[in-house]
Order: sequence, then C-alpha cells, then structure tokens
Amino acid sequence: MSQPGLQVQHVTKRFGAGDTEIVAVRDVSLDVAHGEVVLIMGPSGSGKSTLLLMLGALLRPSTGEIHVNGVEVTGLSERRLPDLRLRHIGFIFQDFNLLSAVDVLDNVSIPAQLAGARRRDARTRAAALLQALGLGHRLGFAPEQLSGGEKQRVAIARALVNEPDIVLADEPTANLDARHGHETMRLLRRIARERGRSVIIVSHDQRIRDIADRVLWMEDGALRDAVAMAADPVCGMSIEQEKAVIATWDGRTFGFCSRGCRDEFLEQPLQFVLPDPAPPEAGAGPLPPPGGREIVSQPAVPR
Amino acid sequence: MFRLAVANLTQNRTRLFLATSGAGVALALVLVFQAVFTGASARLTAYIDRTGADVWVSQEGVRTLHMSTSVLPSSVVEAVRSVPGVADAVPVRYATDSVAVGQAEFITYVFAVPERASVGGPWRIVAGTGALQPGEIVIDRSIAGTAGARLGDRVRILGRDFQVVGLIDGTSSLVSSVSFVRVEDFVRARGSGDAISYVLVRAQAGTPAQALAEAIRLHVTGVTVQTRSEFAAEERQLVADMSTDIITIMNTAGYLTGLAVVMLNVYIATVARRREYGVLKALGMRNGRLYQIIVIQALITTGLGLAGALLLTLSLALLLPWMDGLLVLSLDRGATVRVALTAAVLAVVASLAPARLIARVDPASVVRRGTS
Ligand SMILES: Nc1ncnc2c1ncn2[C@@H]1O[C@H](COP(=O)(O)OP(=O)(O)O)[C@@H](O)[C@H]1O
Ligand SMILES: [Mg+2]
Repeated sequence: MSQPGLQVQHVTKRFGAGDTEIVAVRDVSLDVAHGEVVLIMGPSGSGKSTLLLMLGALLRPSTGEIHVNGVEVTGLSERRLPDLRLRHIGFIFQDFNLLSAVDVLDNVSIPAQLAGARRRDARTRAAALLQALGLGHRLGFAPEQLSGGEKQRVAIARALVNEPDIVLADEPTANLDARHGHETMRLLRRIARERGRSVIIVSHDQRIRDIADRVLWMEDGALRDAVAMAADPVCGMSIEQEKAVIATWDGRTFGFCSRGCRDEFLEQPLQFVLPDPAPPEAGAGPLPPPGGREIVSQPAVPR
Repeated sequence: MFRLAVANLTQNRTRLFLATSGAGVALALVLVFQAVFTGASARLTAYIDRTGADVWVSQEGVRTLHMSTSVLPSSVVEAVRSVPGVADAVPVRYATDSVAVGQAEFITYVFAVPERASVGGPWRIVAGTGALQPGEIVIDRSIAGTAGARLGDRVRILGRDFQVVGLIDGTSSLVSSVSFVRVEDFVRARGSGDAISYVLVRAQAGTPAQALAEAIRLHVTGVTVQTRSEFAAEERQLVADMSTDIITIMNTAGYLTGLAVVMLNVYIATVARRREYGVLKALGMRNGRLYQIIVIQALITTGLGLAGALLLTLSLALLLPWMDGLLVLSLDRGATVRVALTAAVLAVVASLAPARLIARVDPASVVRRGTS
C-alpha cells in the first residue's frame, strides 16, 4: 500500500498547566489510508474533537507529529496553515456552519475562490458537486431554507470542493434524524471510495458505526482499537465482545450488555439498527471525477 | 469577496438603512455647511465679480473690500484714466452699514458711483430702476422680501431715510447684501468730501487685465492695483480666514459623527457574524481577506451615506432659493471630492476595531462549539 493519507505519531495535547492541567489527547498514533473511513467513538469529553482539530491543523499538538500526504503539518509555520486547511483538508462540522448571507452555490464556491479558482470556474465546480449530492435544485436557496440533511450535504460539498486529501467530520449526524444521518454517512463512505480520500469521523452515534472501515474507541484521551469492543445497540453501552450476549439478525451479529437488552432488540430490531445493505440514495448520481487527480480505489477493509 | 461583503451587508436591511442614514446625515452636515460657506462667500464677492471692473485701484496696502477702509484722493481717477489701455476709470465710494427696513436690520455694503458710470453701478435689477434720484436707494430684493418692503417704501441707512426705487438680485447672504445710493447722498451722510474709496478700471478691448494692472502700477504711485480676480481671491481668503475655526469645528463634528455611526455599525455587524468569520478562518481564509470584507462593508456604508448626503444637499440647494434667498448653498467639486476622500479614510479607520476583533477570533473554538 502506498503512503497513508494521514499519519499521526504519538500526539498529545495538554490544556492548562500545573494543577489545572488537562491532558485532552494522550499519545495517540494512527494511520489512515487513502479511501479509508475511520470512525472514532467515545464518551463526551474523551478528546475526540481535540484530536480532530489537531488533524485539521486548527490546533497544535503539545507533542507528536501529524503528516498529511507525507507533509509534516506540525512543522509548518502559522502562516502556512490556512493554505493547508484550504487545499488539503475538508471540514464538516456538527452544526453545518454555513454562511447565512449567501446562497448554497456561493457557500460552496467561496472556498474554491479562496483557493485561487476564478469565480466562474469555482461556481461551475461547486454546481457540479452540489448536483452530484442531489442539491441541483437548491443552488439559489439560502441556507435557512434548507432542511438539516440538505444543509449537511452543502457542508459536505463545501468540504470537498477543493479536493482535499483528508475529510474530517465532527459529529456530522448529531443534528440529523436517523435517515439523514445514515444518508450522510453513506455519502462520506462513497467519497472515500470513489475519490480516495481519507475520511475521519468523530461521533458517539452508535447507529453509524457499520459504515466505517474501522472503528476506534477513544477514552480519556487515548485511542483503543474497538475491534474487541461492541456497542449494545439498545442501551448504547460499550462492551467487550467476548463478554457480550450475542444475537444474530439479518445475517449480522450484535453484542449486548445483558439478556434484557438482547430480548428487547429481538422484539423489534429495526428500532435500533438499519437494515443492511442500505439502499442507494435517491436523487444523487455518481460523484463527478475529481479534476486531474488519480482515483485511488481501495478494497473494502474486512470487518 | 466583494460579493460576500455585499451579502453580509444587505442581509440585515434595517441595520444597513439605519447606518447609511446615520452616516448620511452626518456627512450632509459637513456638505451643507461647506455649501453654505461657499454660497455666502460667492455672494460676498458678488459686487467684485459682477460690477464690470477689470482692475481695482485702492489705497496703498488695502487688498479687500471687507474689514478694511480704502481712502483715495479723487485726483487718482484722472491719473488712472491717463494710463494707456484704460477705457474708463470710475470712482466708487463705499461703506458698510446696516439698513433698517421696517423693524428689521440688515448689514449692507453701500456703494455710490457717479450717474451713468460705465462700471460699478447696480446690475440685475429685477424691479424698479437703477437710475437714482437724490434720496433714493436700490437694495437687494431678498432683504426687501424678508422685511416685507416694496418699491416706494422708506428705509433708513447712513443715518438718513431713503426711498426704495429699485431691487437687485443675487447679492444677499445671511451676513450681507449690496445697496446703491447717489454720490451726493453718500457724501452728505458720510461727510467724506472729495475722498473716494476705490477706482474701478475698465480695460480697452484687447488689453489683458494683468497688463493693465501692471501699467497702472507703473504710472500711478501710492496705490495698490489688483485685477478683479486677484481682488476677489483676496476677499475670499479673508472670509475663509475668518471662518476657518467654525468650519473646522463643524467639519470635525460631522466627520466624527459619521465615523462613530459607521464604526458602530461595522463593529456590531462583525460581532454578529463573528462565528461565520471563525468558520471562514477554519476553512482557510486569511485574516487579510477577512479585513477586506470588513473594509468593503464600511466603504459601502459610507459611500451610500455620502450619496444620500449629496442628494440631500443638492435638493436643499435647489429648494432654498424658493424661500427667502438669504441662504444660498453652493456645492463645488473640490469640496465634494475632499469630503468623499475624508469619508473613505474614515471608513477604513472605522474598520480597525472590527479587524482587531476578527484577528482574535480563534477558529478552533468557533468550530468546537456545540460539539461534545
Ligand atoms: N481549549 C481548551 N482548554 C481547556 N480544556 C479543553 C479545551 N478544549 C478541550 N478541553 C478539554 O479537553 C477534554 C476533551 O474535550 P473534547 O476534545 O471536546 O472531547 P470530546 O469531543 O470527545 O467530547 C475535555 O475535558 C475538555 O474540557
Ligand atoms: Mg467533541
């Protein structure tokens, strides 16, 4: 395999000093390949957002190194960071953070213009991207006229417009209902697959874990491989797989913290998980090929 | 980024309207005052500009009409008349006094020239006659109108009563106007005998005023000789010098008000949009670009305000002559450009505080908000 899109080496982030010191992220190391979707889960306050901000060059680690496409981001001067964020990193935020004064098309084309594209080119590119995300009929709309799911897709288009190497999403489904949350996740997986992006998603939403190639568990600032962990789809508790109460449904295996949870699940499974495979999204065509860039296709990482 | 700036500005129309109105009123204050001043100063030199003399001869050292007294022996007239290139030389007697029309009093510059003089007499007679008999006077129609006086009414000036026989137009301002009486009335009232104030000189066709003034200087001693434009310029300078302080105060007040309004608006608008600016920073927009957006907003607000102020001032300038005619607004291009440039500088200054605010916005904490 070629060089990973993202390499994180022994990254630690401390806030404050002395008695009030908080170690928000503790010696985290992580490689994310092109085309791979990594989901980082964990309880509130475990350091997920802090880690994501460091990956996005918005926050400097106290120690450790981060490489994006082989470039050591942590070694760059402050002056060079905006450009790095603009061209190599795509951000998707929990509350969308669209610009309220301009329409959907401008929301997506402005970052492209910032990156040096001429206005007309930027708009063409943004329109194509929005079209591909099923928003072709919303180009002239103001963000406030959109539904939550549509806003999130605009935010995704904005994150992709400069063809970043890595896409970072912090709780992208927190403000969405189950259906839109799932749609968003499938979209992110498609982006990773079709365009060879490294996608890192931070969430504590149990419903989306089956979309990731890899699920990591963060607790107390440190990452643990979640392969051995299972999340109880009923109560959301995280349990070690060996100790879990197991049930199979729809050809898939689920782990529960107790028999009570398992029985509840088996009574009405669809209340807790979505059927798999998810049907293709209506209205959204294939993503347009990224301009002048090789698509790195990745085999699905076995779970 | 111009588009984003405009969009940011127009999203809240009420605020934009209030801010441009505020800036507009403040700048209108500056423009109107400037126009009042220019208008008044044009009227102060009305006699010099309109009387038809190419060259003014005055007592040595005297360069203006106002705030000075020029006394010349009447023999100077003959001396000037004999200078080559002179078509005519007319002695003019002049005094500043107040004219009482009914209950009202107005400052007026009283002139007296010999009958049928080729220059120096009344012009733009809008009612009655300019050919005066003893005991008669010509005054400006604006002061007559203001005081409700008509042809045939009596007014008091130079300690005597005169009958109004003619009205002239375009000489009155809030501070002065022009009146004409006969020479013998003037001499009797003032006891000035043979002494005259100035000699008004008309050049022969083909003789430039400048050359004529030079010739008179050579031939006649003990006098100051100026062309009409030199004389008018001295006059305007005198008025400007006298009013510099008040103009400075008015301008400063207007500009500061405008600055405060624009600054406050841009600041509030920036605070309200702080989060979006933080998001733009997180996406990779540099501070410099963000400053541009803010400066553009300030410039547009100020520009719209200035346009409104110009419209207001011009409408006033058109409307006022229909009123009493004492207040004249005259907006010259130089003053307008100066106000526009100052306003632009103020817009940039108004952007400084918001720019500082933007510089301090930490994109990480902006995008972290709401996440858990
Ligand atoms: N700027 C900061 N200053 C001090 N402490 C912070 C700051 N940012 C985050 N923290 C702390 O770091 C820990 C991790 O926070 P965060 O990364 O937001 O967790 P998560 O996203 O997993 O909920 C929390 O204890 C939080 O209070
Ligand atoms: Mg978080």
